[in-house]
Amino acid sequence: MTAAETTPKPVPDLYSCNGPQFKQLAEAALIWLETNKELVNALNVFPIPDGDTGTNMSLTMQAALREIAPLNDRSAGRVAHALAHGALMGARGNSGVILSQIWRGFARAIDGSETIDAPLFASALREASTTAYRASVRPVEGTILTVIKDAALAAEDAATRHRELRTLLERIVSAAHNSVERTPDLLPVLKQAGVVDSGGKGLTIMLEGMLRYLRGLPLDVAVETAFRPLKLDAVGAAMETIEPGQEWEVIVDFKPRGSIDVSSMYGRLEAMGTAIQVGEGDGMYRVHIHLLKSRRYEPLEMAEDLGTITNVHMENLLAQVGEGDVEPLKLATVSAGQIGVVAVSPGDGLSRVLASLGAAAIVGGGQAQNPSTEDILRAVDDLATDHVIILPNNKNIILAANQVVSLSSKQVRVVPSRSVPQGVAALLQLLPDGDLSQVAGAMEHAITQVHTGEVTLATRTVELNGVAIRDGQHIGLSNGQIVVAGEGLESTLLALLEKMDAGSHEVLTLYRGQDISEPDADALAGQIRVRYPELNIETHFGGQPHYPFILSLE
Amino acid sequence: MPEEVNPLGKIEVSPVAIATVASHAALQAYGIVGMAPKNVLNGLTNILTRDPRQGVEVTQRPAGLVINLYVVVEFGTRVSAVANSLSNSVRFNVESTFGLTVDEVNVHVQGLRISTPDA
Repeated sequence: MTAAETTPKPVPDLYSCNGPQFKQLAEAALIWLETNKELVNALNVFPIPDGDTGTNMSLTMQAALREIAPLNDRSAGRVAHALAHGALMGARGNSGVILSQIWRGFARAIDGSETIDAPLFASALREASTTAYRASVRPVEGTILTVIKDAALAAEDAATRHRELRTLLERIVSAAHNSVERTPDLLPVLKQAGVVDSGGKGLTIMLEGMLRYLRGLPLDVAVETAFRPLKLDAVGAAMETIEPGQEWEVIVDFKPRGSIDVSSMYGRLEAMGTAIQVGEGDGMYRVHIHLLKSRRYEPLEMAEDLGTITNVHMENLLAQVGEGDVEPLKLATVSAGQIGVVAVSPGDGLSRVLASLGAAAIVGGGQAQNPSTEDILRAVDDLATDHVIILPNNKNIILAANQVVSLSSKQVRVVPSRSVPQGVAALLQLLPDGDLSQVAGAMEHAITQVHTGEVTLATRTVELNGVAIRDGQHIGLSNGQIVVAGEGLESTLLALLEKMDAGSHEVLTLYRGQDISEPDADALAGQIRVRYPELNIETHFGGQPHYPFILSLE
Repeated sequence: MPEEVNPLGKIEVSPVAIATVASHAALQAYGIVGMAPKNVLNGLTNILTRDPRQGVEVTQRPAGLVINLYVVVEFGTRVSAVANSLSNSVRFNVESTFGLTVDEVNVHVQGLRISTPDA
């Protein structure tokens, strides 16, 4: 997408809004939300990345917009109705459900109306708020509910004086902002964590997106953040996944000769590869990019053009994965009547491990992004057999997996594995030609025999289970419970192993996350070996995000 | 009865206390409009209740607590998403209040409440 395609043109004064215009407002709300998604995610009060609010709201809005995308209806009422239907069907997470109720109320208020004027917009927000409150017996204040209520109040007040929609939205957005700022006063858990409510923030960002659209301000990531250089050290920590065309990672530091036209530099980089990031600091620039092997010297040539190179880092990303070339995932093939296993995997490497043990289908998803029931259902239905076992491999996905049982016409069993190590233990029990109930029973037993440890970063300062955790600290979880928190990855991992009584086990399997290099993992394994000489240690590339290490003890 | 031992003695937590916390969390969960008797045949007239133990069943297993929730959900919400958030929220509240491990939270949707029909 180029900037020209997505930069909205300033909109003249608007006194009523028809179907296509309403569609554009909704689209603007989503784009601005996507642009600021990480900001909303960062407000998560629980210390583990887990179905983040920004992501959930944005996925819900995406589903809503998919519903109205093919629609070419002049009637605002009918567009809003379709939007609400899409939001309902695609609702993800708590915030997504509330958002779907907000749209449901909004749509109900303008049902049958061809256009929306200021008083109708205000009463639609009122109905949105009422509907959202109605779905809760004990509404919690200091959340998105409070923010929609305050926004509706401001809208009703402003609509008595202003008929122009941009002016009306200005009042609404400013009331929503103030309401968000007050959420910590209403909800102690927010105050303790030192944040404002994430759902309320997300809603405010959506309203702000509509306003920005009417003002003709840019909404798109490519326009907004391309010019906002990251801090130098943030570039190195950027999340990376390997996709086609991302064979090599190149990082170049250089001192520019004169002033740099960042946008034209971006243009050149975009022609070379993906995952582009530019950092700036101390008169230096750092460029980070993923590209094909054949183009790996091009960023150096560009940097030479612009100034003097001080440092270069190049890495073959494929080497991290395995043999130097991306091998397609080798899934087990099943024939009719055999048992097929659908496993959920949070990372590339883990997918390979699961596939190598006999999984016939892999559904991507894990800590921060749960797959939907539909994703799992599709994988189940696509298998060439009608005997299927699902391994959710995450406690938050078990429920979605359970729903597949009643939705699919096939014989489906869910073995409630709550981590990938449990899923691995279950797969070892797989007999493709066995009896479905017996195999599932054996798997259910197997998952109780394995102990799962996880190391991740806390995203908030909080006290949980009597463990004081500071933002940015490493935390160790034993079978899903936080048991240790510490400064370094290494010390946290060792403390976790001690808590898990590693000495009394025989085999330790370490799955390193996408940000941990093989030498680093080997060095850590070496230290563990010194401490637990009896333990048999295996390390694998897991490729999972957020979790530097997932481990199992048997 | 779930218990914990410390140097001064032991701490017991009654299932009723756990049920009260679980019920409180459930009724605060978005989209849940009431707790329902486990056996719906008790009659739909008394389906909505605020008795702290109604609609909550707490049992103990070696791996941790098993909590069964019997709930009424607002019509017009995505039931799967509501149930998912409910179980996360009940687990979080019970675990952080009592420091006990919750092994399973099972959500049984006993009915839907239609408060406003959509046009």
